[in-house]
Amino acid sequence: MDTELNVIEIRNLTKKFGDFTAVDNISFDVRRGEIFGFLGANGAGKTTAMRILCGLSRPTAGTGTVAGYDIWKEQEKIKRHIGYMSQKFSLYPDLTVKENIRLFGGIYGLDDREINGKTSKMLSMLGMVQEKDKFAGELPLGWKQKLSFCIALIHEPRIIFLDEPTGGVDPETRRRFWELIYDTAEKGTTIFVTTHYMDEAEYCDRVSIMVDGRIAALDTPEKLKCRFTAETMDDVFRTVAGKAEREE
Amino acid sequence: MWKYLLEKEFKQFFRDPGLPRMALMFPVLMMLVFPFAVSMDIRNINLAVVDNCMSKESSLLIEKCTASGYFRLVDICQSPDEAQRLMDNNRADAIITIMPGFDKETALGTGLPAGIKVNTVNGTKGSIGSQYILNCFRMYLAAKNPDTASTPAFDISDKYYFNPYMDYKLFMVPALIVIAITMITAFLPALNIVSEKEAGTIEQINVTPVSKTACIVCKMIPYWAIAFFILTACLVIAWAVFGYTCRGSILWLYLYTALDMIVMAGLGLLISNYSNNAQQAMFLIWFFAVIFMLMSGIFTPIASMPDWAKAITFLNPMRYFADAMRSVFLKGSNPLDIWYDAAGLAALGSVMVTWSILSYRKSE
Repeated sequence: MDTELNVIEIRNLTKKFGDFTAVDNISFDVRRGEIFGFLGANGAGKTTAMRILCGLSRPTAGTGTVAGYDIWKEQEKIKRHIGYMSQKFSLYPDLTVKENIRLFGGIYGLDDREINGKTSKMLSMLGMVQEKDKFAGELPLGWKQKLSFCIALIHEPRIIFLDEPTGGVDPETRRRFWELIYDTAEKGTTIFVTTHYMDEAEYCDRVSIMVDGRIAALDTPEKLKCRFTAETMDDVFRTVAGKAEREE
Repeated sequence: MWKYLLEKEFKQFFRDPGLPRMALMFPVLMMLVFPFAVSMDIRNINLAVVDNCMSKESSLLIEKCTASGYFRLVDICQSPDEAQRLMDNNRADAIITIMPGFDKETALGTGLPAGIKVNTVNGTKGSIGSQYILNCFRMYLAAKNPDTASTPAFDISDKYYFNPYMDYKLFMVPALIVIAITMITAFLPALNIVSEKEAGTIEQINVTPVSKTACIVCKMIPYWAIAFFILTACLVIAWAVFGYTCRGSILWLYLYTALDMIVMAGLGLLISNYSNNAQQAMFLIWFFAVIFMLMSGIFTPIASMPDWAKAITFLNPMRYFADAMRSVFLKGSNPLDIWYDAAGLAALGSVMVTWSILSYRKSE
């Protein structure tokens, strides 16, 4: 399965909430080891689509596989092979850094020895050895995000889903977070990231732009800029997303 | 996997600023404060007397009443109107009217010309008050005629089984345990799960391959432990402070508590499945808590409810649990005597647990 080119294959995916079509018949592939940017204005349906891929939500129609597993029938198998970092900080604020690592390590089936090994490696990589016994809730936001990211990787998933991972932090912290993303991608993990920072979109290997629940454009940043004769991804996004009809 | 989840739940429980303290305060309050607060023993009934006889006999009767400790003599009035005014102003709860010729008639044994008037705005106080007055009359007559031949009118044969002194506190102790256990095992886990929903941490768990059962059971276990702790603490306090001991086997108390916990776990999970935030959960909890308590027979006897209300109580797990706890504690029943309580809890439990597991979704 690791030899397959695409780790995510989605065909005609639709998700409706009552009369509202949040995700409208989208199809795309994500290749192994790439950084795939999933862009869109607020309410364009990115988070909904991503939640379906993570097995947190069931599609209304369409087919697809994630890490080689069916999004309809094998949600629990998908979960074993993906990591997920939500836009809200969702580690336990009343557990310490070390305890959070231990909990999620344990949930993914690591034993005490493996957890201890991972913990010390992770802490030194993050430069958080001093903070290991601090409550996760007391860390600065940038650190929280890095910690969530590393914990989402604790079971060495094939794909990691990042839902607006760098919301609310300064550019320098964001840049360092992206270094972390690059390091991870180099090791062969596929990165699926939603964002609305257009400078971040430039860092991606390929970018898709969602408008009104549909994918309006999907290509490398260079080709997109070329196609829309734009200087930056920001201009591309304005041109593409400017056609949106849906209110937020 | 279970080990790590349990570790997390216990750590979070003991780190919570309120929960551990609450677990300690609950049994203390339940046993040391509430039995007095919910006691229906009526004392200090304000009594007015209209003495139309003014004899030695009549003052003896009044003395019997005041000496009982239940009455506070407000006034000895000259006229019925004056006494009525006292009652209208809420200064008297009961009026005893002693007719002229009281001393003569009692001496002859032909009757007891006295009347009792009771204010029943507070029904309980009124009916218990009139009972007390009748008892005082009887004691007066018994003291007067030790041969008791002339007391047929008051030959009410009272014999109280299982709680001979009609000690309301003894009656309430097992029921208060029932309330405490329901709060701890149904409502606290519900709030816990909903707060994880609000914080978004439940999503981080749902995106892992952790099983529903592991997740739920690990959440419940700390509360089950606390509930058994509270049960034990309540029993110890009841024994140490009031000298109450369980007449039946304590084992049955624990057995029924365990059974009730399963029902309550199902209910707690159901509440959390159907509420998205703490406010909704609180409202549901409040709704269930009130209905459960009022329809359980804890404060008012089920036998005196109208049929439709009686029918509702059959759906109330607290009804079975409270009945079981009281039967074991006060009467020394064993599960053979109260098999129907176990059956009721088991039936409700299987419905609630099945429903809650079906409605619990890791994905929407």
